[in-house]
Order: sequence, then C-alpha cells, then structure tokens
Amino acid sequence: MTALRVRGLGVLLPSVAAPGDTSFPDRQVHAVDGFDVRERLGRRGTSFFDRTTALAVAVCADALRDAGVEADPRQPQDRIGVVLATTLGSFRSTSDFTRETLVQERPYLVNPVLFPNTVMNCAAGQSAIRLGLRGVNATVAGGPVAFLHALRYAADVLARGYADLMVVGAAEELSPHRAWSQALARGGAGADCGESAAAFVVVRDDGTDGTDGTSVRILATAAGYGPDGRRADALSGCVRRALDRAGVAAAQVDLVVTVETATDDNGQFEVATRVLGHHPKHRQVTALFGDCDAATSAAGLAQLMLDRRAHPEEPGSTALLVAEGVDGAAAAALVRSPQCR
Amino acid sequence: MRVAVTGLGPVSSIGIGPAPFAEGLRAGRSGISEITSFDASGFPRRRAGEVRGFDPHRSLRRLKPEHWGRSSQFAAAAARLAAQDARLDVDRLPGGPERAHAVIGTTSGESVAVEAFTAALVADGFAAVDPDLVAQLPAGRLAHGVSEELGLAGESVTLATACAASNYAIGYGFDLLVSGEADVVFAGGADSVCRWAHAGFFRLGALAAQDCAPFDSDRDGILTAEGGAVLVLETFDHARARGARIYAELLGHGLNCDAKHPVAPEWTSIARCIRIAHGNAGVTPADIDYICAHGTGTPANDAVEARAIVEVFGEHPPPVSSIKSLIGHTMGAASGFGAIASVLAIDKGFLPPTVNWSTADPDLAGIDPVPNVARPAAVRVVQNNGFAFGGNNSIVIFGAVR
Repeated sequence: MTALRVRGLGVLLPSVAAPGDTSFPDRQVHAVDGFDVRERLGRRGTSFFDRTTALAVAVCADALRDAGVEADPRQPQDRIGVVLATTLGSFRSTSDFTRETLVQERPYLVNPVLFPNTVMNCAAGQSAIRLGLRGVNATVAGGPVAFLHALRYAADVLARGYADLMVVGAAEELSPHRAWSQALARGGAGADCGESAAAFVVVRDDGTDGTDGTSVRILATAAGYGPDGRRADALSGCVRRALDRAGVAAAQVDLVVTVETATDDNGQFEVATRVLGHHPKHRQVTALFGDCDAATSAAGLAQLMLDRRAHPEEPGSTALLVAEGVDGAAAAALVRSPQCR
Repeated sequence: MRVAVTGLGPVSSIGIGPAPFAEGLRAGRSGISEITSFDASGFPRRRAGEVRGFDPHRSLRRLKPEHWGRSSQFAAAAARLAAQDARLDVDRLPGGPERAHAVIGTTSGESVAVEAFTAALVADGFAAVDPDLVAQLPAGRLAHGVSEELGLAGESVTLATACAASNYAIGYGFDLLVSGEADVVFAGGADSVCRWAHAGFFRLGALAAQDCAPFDSDRDGILTAEGGAVLVLETFDHARARGARIYAELLGHGLNCDAKHPVAPEWTSIARCIRIAHGNAGVTPADIDYICAHGTGTPANDAVEARAIVEVFGEHPPPVSSIKSLIGHTMGAASGFGAIASVLAIDKGFLPPTVNWSTADPDLAGIDPVPNVARPAAVRVVQNNGFAFGGNNSIVIFGAVR
C-alpha cells in the first residue's frame, strides 16, 4: 500500500456530558456539543438526515475546505472519492425503522423516505451528493478497525490511479442503541460511549518534504486477522508489516495510539511495545473521547493533526496507530508528523 | 500480475454449491417461495427468495452457528464451498495464512440480528437484550466469519456498499492481488431476508406482486432475497504452482458514484462506470460477449441500465440477462451471484436466461434479455453489473483463460 499525505482535516470531537434522556444507560457519555445539521448544512435536503449522515457530511465538507478543494455539486468531480468507516451504519435509524414494522397496525407502515438511512452506505452516498464527488465511493464496516481499513482502501484507490484525491473518514452518532450495546457487551464495564466524526483529504505521497502544517503522512498500513482468538498475534504481525513497509526503525516510534475499550486495559499498547522493543508514550483514544467505535481511530488521527497544528515548532514525531476489533481483527498504521518551520 | 478465479461458492435458493447452482441457472429454475423466515401475513406481498435448504451445522466446519448471525453464516458457508471447489488446502497455504484475505460485501449486514435486538427492545427495553445477540450485530462479522471458518490471517474486511457490494469486494480483491498484498482472496457477499427490508422496498413501491420480470414491459419490481456468494481469487502464479483448475480470469473492474440521488439510478453515470471498467480490464465494448445485468426488475433500474448499455455498446449490444428473475434480489450478495453466473457462462458455455419474460418493452429497444430459456454460447468476456443505493456503481469483467 502506498504512502499517503494528508492535505485536509475536518473533525467534530466530543466532550463529556450527561446523557440527554433516560433511554441511555446511567453513566456519562462523550457527545459532540452544539452540532446542528440545519445550521451547518442548511435546511434544503437535510430534513431526513440522521445524525451519522449529518456528522459525516459536515466533516467531509470541512476537510475539503481545509485542503483548499472546491466542492460544488453543480460542478461534480469524477476524480475525487469518499470512503467512510462504520460499525453498522446508523444503528438507531435501522432499529427505529424496524420498530415501526413491529408496532404499527400494519407491518409495512414505515416511512419510505427513511429507508435509505437504514443502508450502511447512506452517509458516504450523501457526502458524494452534497459535495459533488463522483469518484470511488465506499463504506467499510469493521467497528474499531474500520477506519484503518478505510485508510487502506483509500491508499489502494489512489495507488491504482482510480482517483486523484480521496476523502477518508468515519462518523458514529451518540444513541441509546450504541450506548446500550457497548454496556451489554462488556457487562456494564468499559469506556464511556462516545460520538465523533473526522475526515481527512488524502493524496498519494509524492515524496516532497511538506512544511505547510498539513503534511502529516500515513507512511504504511497493515491489517490482519487472528482466528481462534489469536488476535494479539494478528496485531503484532500488523505492527511488524507496517514498520517494514514504511522502512521505519522501531526506535523511531515515539507515540502509540490505541483504542482499548476499557480504560484500565493496556492490551494493545503491550502488544505494540513488545514488537517495538521499547516503551514510547501511550495515548488511549477511548480515555479521551469515549468509545466511538469506527470513529475512535479517526478521532485519534485527528488529535495528532490538531496537536501538530497547535505546536508546529515541536520536533517531528512518528506515531503508531493500532486497533483491535471484535473477534480477531487487527490493524496498524504509521503516521509521521514532521516539524513545521 | 494476472488474477485467476479458481473456486465458486454459491449458497442460493436455486442450489448450494457450484454444480446445483449451474444446473439451476441452465434450467431457469425459480428460487422464489412464500416467506417463512418471518411472519409476513400482514404484508400484501409475501414472496421472497429464501434459501430453504441451508443448514449451517452441515455447511460449516469451524464456525459455531449459535454465535454468528445468518448473514455471516451465509458468507462463511459460501467461502467454505468455494475453498472446496478450488481444492485449496487453506491450512497449508504456501505463502502463509497472512497472505489470504477475506473481502465480503453486504447491504444490511446482520439484519436479522438487528431485528431480533429491536424486538427484544420493544418487548422489554434495552437492559433486557441478550448480550450474545449484541455480539452478533456488527456488520464486520461477515468477513470475520469467513476468516474464522477458514483460518485466514490476512485482512478481513466487510464492504457495506449496498447492492453493488460483492462487485466492490471482487474489485478490491483484484487490487490486493495485483498489488502484491495477497496470494489468495475470498471475495463475495451475503445478506439475509428480513422484515424491515421487505417493508422498506414495499413502501418504495419496488416490490413485485408475483414474479420478478426484468426487461419485460410489465415488470413491477424486485423480490427480496438472500444468500451468500463467494469466489476464490488467486494470482495466476499461485494457482498454477498448485496445479489449480482456472475457471476464468478476472480482467478488471470499475467504480464510480452518481452523486445525484440516494435511491434513483442515473444512466450517464452508469455508462461512465462501464467505460471505466472496460479501460481497467483492457477490453473494448466489441470484446464483451454477455452482460450479466444488475436487472432488478424495477421499471426505473432496467430502463436506466438499458440506456447506459446502448450508450456504450450502440444499438446492438451483446445479450443482457438478469438472474434476479430466478433468485430475486439478494442485495449485497447479488453481484456475487452475478459474478459466479458470469464465470459459469464462460466455463460451461451458456447464457443464463431472464425468466418470467413475456412482452418486449419498446423503451428497451436493442436489449436481448435471453428470454426464458438458457442459450448455448461461446463466451469469452463477460461484464457483470452491480448498482446500489447511494449511487454506488461497480462493474467487474471476467474473461476466458487465454
């Protein structure tokens, strides 16, 4: 997989809040504060957007603007595509739609305009419509590993020449459905439920030494699977392959960004440090922003870029992003943030 | 680097395994029946393409069906069948299990699990939902089920690009092989019949009253359907080194997006996608012997698809048939079944028919839908169409082995 240069960022990060209503489990959440779809995107064409789609469209638009790319649906562009990561789309939209088939007098008394919201590619499709992006449009479902899968997918599209520029991102909305799923799956323990969205405009890395403050690079990505519970083997293999592909020595990695779903769990960090042979700094995204499922790693990458923009004078750094999914999925990415003078 | 198709794994309503599926296609057999997987008595339209003969306990070796949703079971069973058909010993892959990937497409993922979750929620509230059911919800499990069943350690990725998703998966598999990332890719798709999708299509006015009749002037919609369709893709080097039978060559693929409307298809965009696929595969319209259509049987899809085909191929395009007339619309698996049918067309020398066809549509002038009866034909190059909600278009091209 080819290296990528990140040219633009759009991000909506959450802050700690009390859940909005009693349908949530009784614990704090991490919510994107003050986001209003009409305010951000206008009334026209947005009235049936669910929150996942609205968040995704907003960060994709912001990322393109940040990259200085004109995105106008009246002048659609064939060479710009979108790939978004998800767990199962908008779980709330799908479950609410299903609910109508169970509680209405007739099972077919659903609202047909809400049907597209039940399909997992809704957010990517709407992003393309709103921004006029006619290139490769994809949606990757993989929960915690999905964003790193999406980075790999985007890298492939660019390496093969199917597009000149890709918007790669993830969005997960806060809902009682997600909060309860996390709580039930972990017996009430684990990280708080989080909401966030982030999108990145990426191009093939042409090898020039960018010093413009937006020249964070994805040097390499790797993905694997450990059947029969051998997930740690899969993750260590991913870290090794990412280092090999990037031609980066383990000693150069000075930060490991992980997405463990419980704040007292350092399992991913421990696997990474065993491969690296040293203990770099550790940032656990779920401790900062809650468990944002497919958007957790995206929030982690966004935070790296925000850090760099806030402190451009700091020495260059190389971060290792790792993620483990349900079952045996694992993925890793190496991210280089150069010093900006 | 060339890409070989060496194994086919259809789990369909007209047959489980490549031989029964091929016989079903050739005989024009219908897999449509009255719905039994959910209570459809409240619906005015109650027919669908359910896979009645599917027994996960018989089809799966390592996967424990009680821990996996129906769509993951379909995907894993289809991949197991494909591995057997390819005579591929997945426990002893020469390049190691890390170079064997699973790429699975879907529209609705574990839709039946989402439905069960919602039913439990409606009955007793969130807190009472069974955690084992929650574990089955993530759509990513479709690919993971394949990796788990076959012991694959490469990338395990689910592409949720709706009804074009299997073609996306096959296309990504192609790229992983030609770029040297993988030796073997299990690529395809899976989906399950469920109540909410049936309701949604009914309310969109897209469900057929009785039969799915693509390209007929009286066509009135789709029939919801299910199944799993997986192909074994390998590099030619890998396939030849182990002496594998090569069904066909995967020549290339094309992807684009309408960026126009969430559900209505757009013909200029589809025409563009066809040209992208031809360019990527290194073929011209004159090379294509058969088009395995998206052919949903809705008035809109078939008109748009035909117009795009005529735009690219001229007034006399190659034969265009829709296997959705036989098995219904299997959603994320649909273009996977189309891909298997395309490969069988090349391998066995016949064009699958469009059944339920009786009256030509003057608006589809030039389209030969291979009406009702399979047709013997020398097939060298096939174009397999897949289009989806969200304007997600994906086309793959297969060719006879040169």
